[in-house]
Amino acid sequence: MGYNRSIRMPSRLLQALSTSVGTKFLIAFTGLCLFLFLVAHLAGNVLFIAGPGPFNDYAHGLVSNPLIYLAEAGLLAVFLVHAARAVMNWLTNQAARPDRYHVRRWARTKNPVSRKSLASTTMIVTGTLILLFVVTHLATFKFGTYYETPDGIRDLYRLQLEIFSQPAYVAYYLVSMGLVFAHLWHGLSSAAQSFGVDHPQWTPRILTLGRVLTVIIAGGFLVLPVYTFFLSRPA
Amino acid sequence: MTLNLKVWRQAGAEAPGRLVDYVARGIHPDMSFVEMLDVVNEDLIRQGQDPIAFDSDCREGICGSCGCVINGIPHGPDAGATTCQLHMRRFRDGDTIVIEPFRARAFPIVKDLVVDRSALDRIIAAGGYVSVNAGSAPEANVVPVPRAEAESAMDAAQCIQCGACVAACKNAAAHLFTAAKIAHLGRLPQGQPERYVRVVRMVEQMDEEGFGTCSNEGECEAVCPKSISIANIARMHRDYLKAALLAK
Amino acid sequence: MALDSKIPGGPIAEKWDRRKFENKLVNPANRRKFEVIVVGTGLAGASAAASLGELGYNVKAFFIHDSPRRAHSIAAQGGINAAKNYRNDGDSVYRLFYDTVKGGDYRAREANVFRLAQLSVNIIDQCVAQGVPFAREYGGLLDNRSFGGAQVSRTFYARGQTGQQLLLGAFQSLMRQVDAGTVTLFPRREMLDLVVAGGQARGIVARNLVNGELERHHGHAVLLCTGGYGTVFYLSTNAVNSNVTAAWRAHKRGAFFANPCFTQIHPTCIPVSGDHQSKLTLMSESLRNDGRVWVPKTPGDRRRPAEIPEADRDYYLERRYPSFGNLVPRDVASRAAKAVCDEGRGVGETGLSVYLDFADAIRRLGADTIRDRYGNLFDMYKRITDEDPYQVPMRIYPAVHYTMGGLWVDYNLMSTVPGLFVLGEANFSDHGANRLGASALMQGLADGYFIAPYTVANYLGGTTLPAVATTDDAFADAADAAQARITRVLQVNGRRTIRDFHRAIGAICWDYVGMARTRDGLQTAIARIRQLRDEFWQDVSVPGTPDNLNPALDYAGRVADYMEFAELLALDALRREESCGGHFREEYQTPDGEALRRDDEFSYVAAWEFQGVGRDPVLHAEPLVFEEVHPTQRSYK
Ligand SMILES: Cc1cc2nc3c(=O)[nH]c(=O)nc-3n(C[C@H](O)[C@H](O)[C@H](O)COP(=O)(O)OP(=O)(O)OC[C@H]3O[C@@H](n4cnc5c(N)ncnc54)[C@H](O)[C@@H]3O)c2cc1C
Ligand code: HEM
Ligand code: HEM
Ligand code: SF4
Ligand code: F3S
Ligand code: FES
Repeated sequence: MGYNRSIRMPSRLLQALSTSVGTKFLIAFTGLCLFLFLVAHLAGNVLFIAGPGPFNDYAHGLVSNPLIYLAEAGLLAVFLVHAARAVMNWLTNQAARPDRYHVRRWARTKNPVSRKSLASTTMIVTGTLILLFVVTHLATFKFGTYYETPDGIRDLYRLQLEIFSQPAYVAYYLVSMGLVFAHLWHGLSSAAQSFGVDHPQWTPRILTLGRVLTVIIAGGFLVLPVYTFFLSRPA
Repeated sequence: MTLNLKVWRQAGAEAPGRLVDYVARGIHPDMSFVEMLDVVNEDLIRQGQDPIAFDSDCREGICGSCGCVINGIPHGPDAGATTCQLHMRRFRDGDTIVIEPFRARAFPIVKDLVVDRSALDRIIAAGGYVSVNAGSAPEANVVPVPRAEAESAMDAAQCIQCGACVAACKNAAAHLFTAAKIAHLGRLPQGQPERYVRVVRMVEQMDEEGFGTCSNEGECEAVCPKSISIANIARMHRDYLKAALLAK
Repeated sequence: MALDSKIPGGPIAEKWDRRKFENKLVNPANRRKFEVIVVGTGLAGASAAASLGELGYNVKAFFIHDSPRRAHSIAAQGGINAAKNYRNDGDSVYRLFYDTVKGGDYRAREANVFRLAQLSVNIIDQCVAQGVPFAREYGGLLDNRSFGGAQVSRTFYARGQTGQQLLLGAFQSLMRQVDAGTVTLFPRREMLDLVVAGGQARGIVARNLVNGELERHHGHAVLLCTGGYGTVFYLSTNAVNSNVTAAWRAHKRGAFFANPCFTQIHPTCIPVSGDHQSKLTLMSESLRNDGRVWVPKTPGDRRRPAEIPEADRDYYLERRYPSFGNLVPRDVASRAAKAVCDEGRGVGETGLSVYLDFADAIRRLGADTIRDRYGNLFDMYKRITDEDPYQVPMRIYPAVHYTMGGLWVDYNLMSTVPGLFVLGEANFSDHGANRLGASALMQGLADGYFIAPYTVANYLGGTTLPAVATTDDAFADAADAAQARITRVLQVNGRRTIRDFHRAIGAICWDYVGMARTRDGLQTAIARIRQLRDEFWQDVSVPGTPDNLNPALDYAGRVADYMEFAELLALDALRREESCGGHFREEYQTPDGEALRRDDEFSYVAAWEFQGVGRDPVLHAEPLVFEEVHPTQRSYK
């Protein structure tokens, strides 16, 4: 009898994406897109080590491709959706517990031990700071000083060398990459759970895999400014 | 033993509440936590004070009535145990114990440590059942159920609807509770016909009640007295997404 | 007034079909106009409310908990019987019927028991369809185990949580009806009185436990499904809020109370550890399959168990009952434990426990096998007692577990008040003087899913029910009475706590109306109960006010009712001058100490009619006729 009264299957996908479960799917999906961007971004940036030629050629290849505008627009959209949904979601969650506990401890004495960590509790903080970082990052690089190579393409190599010769920038990037590290530490495996991956053997492996990837990606980004810094000072 | 308690006292849903200090004297290590509260209440009654209101009934960890946050952890420090199964030998003479109600917007406080968890009932009413009228059932052994499926359905079905998962979750999400019921029914052949309608309706009801969303922290699983796994939450997500895709 | 059990005619196997055919029906279009009140949402109440809702009646369900699913049925562990004969081991409806009548020591109605056995098979079908995750074999079919000494395997189970899973099935069906709008829930409501208008049960007065309001609810029929009264003993395996209040107040309004002295004491419970204890925990009977029960041979032997050599141990069950040994029925095992403790041979700090020793089994089968079989029970024991049963013997002692007695009902489950039906443990019907393991769940669900829907319809369809308003005198009277009682208990303003009084009444019942009863003891009990009742009304201290959540006030009301009910319990035990099932009168035993039934004089149901507090109730005897199963003396030697 129950269902006859009101069959409420979500008629449109959009509607389904607005519930708590749908929201998390969106956050996870966009989060994973952002992660893939980071992978690609890191792969490209690693060319810095290969020297000015390959690095500048690669960067030029990217910006001169007409598809870049589409890709950038997509990336922007993904960023915005991720951030907007994450913030709205956070607000919902705050409202779900208006009165705080006077004493609250993590369930460490229990078994299984939870996945709660400093990273998981600060997702909104690290996320927001990452957003601010990206704005400054774009100002520094994308809209930064335009040097030209003798070949007439943009000399990003020089820009990066200049920027990271300044200890303050290096420090700022190190801290920011720490934020990325924290965000992904919880975020990657969490996304798997949001997609509904559950398997007695694979779930623990995914948890580990997420952390390994985090170390690789955030680690890679950590290394670059440091590497550039030392490169910029003649030995 | 003598213990120093800080207990949340709140006269009613709208009344302001605060932590009040009590000294619990003559506590025996073999007492359960709720028996300790009984003793404190006996003393309060003798002194003409209002005893501390708390829920409990079976006192053996199955009815799901009891539950408070003990030193910051729902149901206290023991794994796989409810408040009524926590024994005072877990504490030491002179310890201070802070006792608060389960807090969530969807669990309004009725009085002191008693909260209204009827939101969880309404989630069940939204679809946590198999539609079968009395008398219409086929012979029980007509549909075999693989033993492993029956066992994992049973794992999920053990939920006692205590609400500790909500209390522990930083988002006050009822995901573990809801997912447990969805997994219990969704794993059995009997639950298949309504599998996708069920998940959609239950998730929508969960949202309507004002619970939060899941950040996959697993605190719920850790405090769950029946150790229900958050794998069930992943399963609920999957079923929900399938339901969304299947929708016309 | 002569009791009419309304048993249909014809051969026993056809009685229920015949009754269903004779029954009046209610036109589906009219069902909505009938309001049916269901009090209690345990197995009996939840299944009845759901089924009546499915049929289209306008159902109102009341319960003292915050959720219907918290009813004490949730705690049942062992399993539920059904005559499916899946094991091909010779079970049948007839055998289940026979075992139940015999197990009840020939104090149950044959026709009722037969119907119960017939319906048992439908219950399993129903529950499986609802998604109850019963244990399965590797082939995917349902598993069974043998339980409580039965010679066939007919017990269905869901780990050690059968009651929980069955109740969830019923609860979920109930919530489905709530969603469909046929059932309205009234949580945290305590029924305080039955409204009888024009000789018919027409409603209840319930107290809203959150705001204290006394509410008047109209119904064309009222179903009481409020469980047993085991907590009159204070300590029992029942949940602490279990009570006799609803049944007792109905009794005061004219419903007869039957066989209150038939109470069951379970032999394998975790012993009392001190005064602070508020309830006792049952451990599955299955432990007796491998554990050996013993006490030291000499009274006062305070050595630790490991230091007591074989020669100084008395395996008293094996000694006294060589063929059944540790597996004798519940009542026999319980009494034997009491006897050795009375001799001063009990063990533990209090001297009120006996050993249940797994050392031999561990040696024979290995600790792993024992862990497989009883791991969770051992864990539970350790959690409560802080002793490791793999290392030291468990200690056990009997505890009150179930009450066979209850409000008298006819074959249609209707009490002596027309329109008042009583289901589940709250009625007296099917278990006679002793209930077999795994049969209470079966009875509750049979009553709710498969009997009440027919018999309630018959009543509603075949009875003239004049209009009654909640403003009528009958309602006002009941509400005033309930209010007066609340005011009175709050006004005493004495010095002793309610728990104090509950402990005291429990101690009297346990000492004199417990496992072994004597004429003198019962007379003493009645005198003491009366005295304690007077003290209660002079010296009880109930804190707080009646206008908000006040668990102490609720508790006071329940204990006040026990102060009256306990007297009936003792009186019934006094008048039943025989031993049968859970009722053991020391005067009536065989030369070797076994229960001596006196069929020629006591083969009847004792239904008591209330005459006023402190006034002797009137006994109405419903003779029991055995056409199928002929009473014999039980023997477990
Ligand atoms: C520890 C334990 C283990 C058991 N194991 C088994 C087993 O393995 N197999 C078996 O067959 N049986 C077993 N039994 C017995 C069986 O569980 C019960 O007899 C049966 O569940 C009773 O069901 P019920 O529906 O009659 O009542 P209950 O489940 O007790 O429900 C009573 C209902 O009435 C309500 N109520 C009570 N008073 C009032 C009032 N005044 N106003 C309003 N509502 C009220 C309550 O809220 C509750 O909803 C066990 C019992 C115990 C205690
Ligand atoms: C490169 C940038 C980013 C990446 C790779 C990224 C990645 C992720 C991933 C994978 C998740 C896990 C999703 C899940 O739990 O299902 C996540 C969650 C989250 N992200 Fe980001 N994110 C990024 C930027 C941001 C930004 C800019 C914000 C801004 C506010 C943000 C806020 C959040 C929050 C709050 C969550 C947690 C949501 C929850 O669990 O409730 N993230 N992110
Ligand atoms: C050490 C770390 C990093 C270095 C050296 C670096 C370097 C650069 C450079 C040189 C560009 C300019 C590319 C161009 O304009 O064509 C760029 C663009 C960009 N970077 Fe980074 N980056 C780093 C980390 C990050 C991180 C962690 C993020 C995201 C969270 C990020 C997000 C972006 C974005 C969004 C763009 C713009 C891409 C576009 O619009 O095409 N970067 N980065
Ligand atoms: S999932 Fe666990 S914690 Fe949550 S309500 Fe169920 S039993 Fe309690
Ligand atoms: S703690 Fe909360 S965040 Fe999810 S995994 Fe459990 S519901
Ligand atoms: S009182 Fe029943 S679970 Fe604690």
